[in-house]
Amino acid sequence: MYAAAASAAVIIGIYGVASKRNMLKTIIGIEIITSSVGLNFLALGSRGGIVDPLAQSIVVVSIAIGACVAAVALSIMINVFRHYGSLDLRKLRRLRW
Amino acid sequence: MVDVEIPLLVQPLVILLSTAVLTPLIDIVGKQAKAEKIRDIFAIAGFVAAFYSLINLHSAISSAGPQTYVLGTFGVPAGGVQLTADLLSVYMALIFCGIGLLVAIYSVRYMEVDSGLDKYYALLLTLVAGMIGVAFSGDFFNLYVFWEIMCISSYTLVSFRKYRWEPVEAGFKYLVMSTVGSLLALYAISLLYGYTGTVNLKQLSTIISSGQISASPLSLYFTIGMIITGFGVTASMVPLHTWLPDAHPAAPSSISAMLSGVVIKTGVYAICRSLFTIFSPASFDYGTVLMIFGILTMTVANLMALMQRDIKRLLAYSSIVNIGYILTGVGIGGYALSHYPSPKLATPIAVFALMGAMFHVLNHAVGKGLLFLCSGCFVHEAKTRDIPELEGIGRKMTWTGTSFSIGLLALAGVPPLSGFWSKLFIILAGFSIPEDSFMKFISILVVLNSIFAASYYLWLMQRIMLKEPKPKIANAVEAPASMLLPIVILAALTIVIGIWPGAIIGLAESAGRVLLGG
Repeated sequence: MYAAAASAAVIIGIYGVASKRNMLKTIIGIEIITSSVGLNFLALGSRGGIVDPLAQSIVVVSIAIGACVAAVALSIMINVFRHYGSLDLRKLRRLRW
Repeated sequence: MVDVEIPLLVQPLVILLSTAVLTPLIDIVGKQAKAEKIRDIFAIAGFVAAFYSLINLHSAISSAGPQTYVLGTFGVPAGGVQLTADLLSVYMALIFCGIGLLVAIYSVRYMEVDSGLDKYYALLLTLVAGMIGVAFSGDFFNLYVFWEIMCISSYTLVSFRKYRWEPVEAGFKYLVMSTVGSLLALYAISLLYGYTGTVNLKQLSTIISSGQISASPLSLYFTIGMIITGFGVTASMVPLHTWLPDAHPAAPSSISAMLSGVVIKTGVYAICRSLFTIFSPASFDYGTVLMIFGILTMTVANLMALMQRDIKRLLAYSSIVNIGYILTGVGIGGYALSHYPSPKLATPIAVFALMGAMFHVLNHAVGKGLLFLCSGCFVHEAKTRDIPELEGIGRKMTWTGTSFSIGLLALAGVPPLSGFWSKLFIILAGFSIPEDSFMKFISILVVLNSIFAASYYLWLMQRIMLKEPKPKIANAVEAPASMLLPIVILAALTIVIGIWPGAIIGLAESAGRVLLGG
């Protein structure tokens, strides 16, 4: 059941990344995917009452990595705000195809 | 002598990461001693030491077989953190570290106008350390951690010149796409962990090939798809390539050479390593998918490249084209193994195709590194990336211009330069079963694409080298010697590999054989 919740949360996160116009909400979407992948590991790591320490350690490290990614993303976001005075992704369309 | 003996396998990682940590400290010392270049020399020394230890590791592996090292006392059964190096990993690691070394030498003069160079070198070192770590990973979790080290350093390096709008935008686009990609790959890893209870590549392979898992083939194919999609974002396969043409021009040219030369190859490596090791190509048909995506990648990118006016954007699209060749080569190998059950027929073809693909990884790393470094020199002098304004600049900068033409010819596949051989191997592998019309069709498309690509390489060469220089660039002078050195080394390398391909073919072949299980 936790695994099903995790896959639903992955889809919610991808929807958030793909559809939201605000940069902060995009970053929140990424964080939702990170947490739901962690939840999936935890859900699949405990079977029949036995908890596998491998899954736990993976999740702890992946939370740390997620924090690093969020830090870089937020610092880029601050720089975008300095350039444009806005966090709207539609204003960021100066890159050509 | 130090008492603690570091295993040969861990040495390059330890050297690179400790140099990365020490570089900012050395920078503080250097600033007080009014000798700022100490920091650059220190970083280059780190790369040289790591390269030397990789050469030692290579000779140790080729005489004594693959090496394994388990970090910590967690023990093998639960997985632990396992580093494994075989001939394929060390082949890739040598390419990564070699290009990193040349880029570091180039950066000494190229980046001197920028500030915050201590962070630049530290990030460059962690970028290479992350890539070598990916190549040395024996389990998926370790691979993911090193993968993120590599990705985070490259996001930061792409948006290094944060005072301009373009790097910041491109960096954000790259970050979002690549992070979602790696998280999808991690989700696939978590599913595999759920099916098998381990993340170790060797154990996964044993469990899956013995068929003792509850998962249906369909769900395993779902995992394969997630792995290809996740790592394919960094490898810039076509529907997922849109970050690349923005990120490469926006980054400093030295970093474009790194990204295009080696970072996207890490994506291809991760796809090949995880698929070929875990899912035996004889029972899972992912070769066809890789082949179709390879063809799609090269066709779309070729069409887009023709429309570009920006020199670095054109080179960025041409990187995607070359990723297409490599993916097709790998795909032909997988396809032959899954569609022709007799190993006597299929294995030589697969070895040949994978050898071509691995050889092309090296050739493209050298050739595209060369082209981006040269275009960095041009842009540095002319202050523009617009091809019409750069016309004829090769005549003003003879060394750079000549090397640039050599790089273009090599990637266009003109014999006897290096790019010719690897393309030839991939195409020959595709034609090796005359009855198979699908493989023949794919190979014909590869040939057509490669001719098409040659047309715009030659067109670019004609504009840069043969036209009369515009008045705006009349004052362009040759780049300084420390920027020319890596360029000339790379140009010489393309010629040497092209004329004496034997030794490198041996390396690439042993690397390709590793993917097929030794």
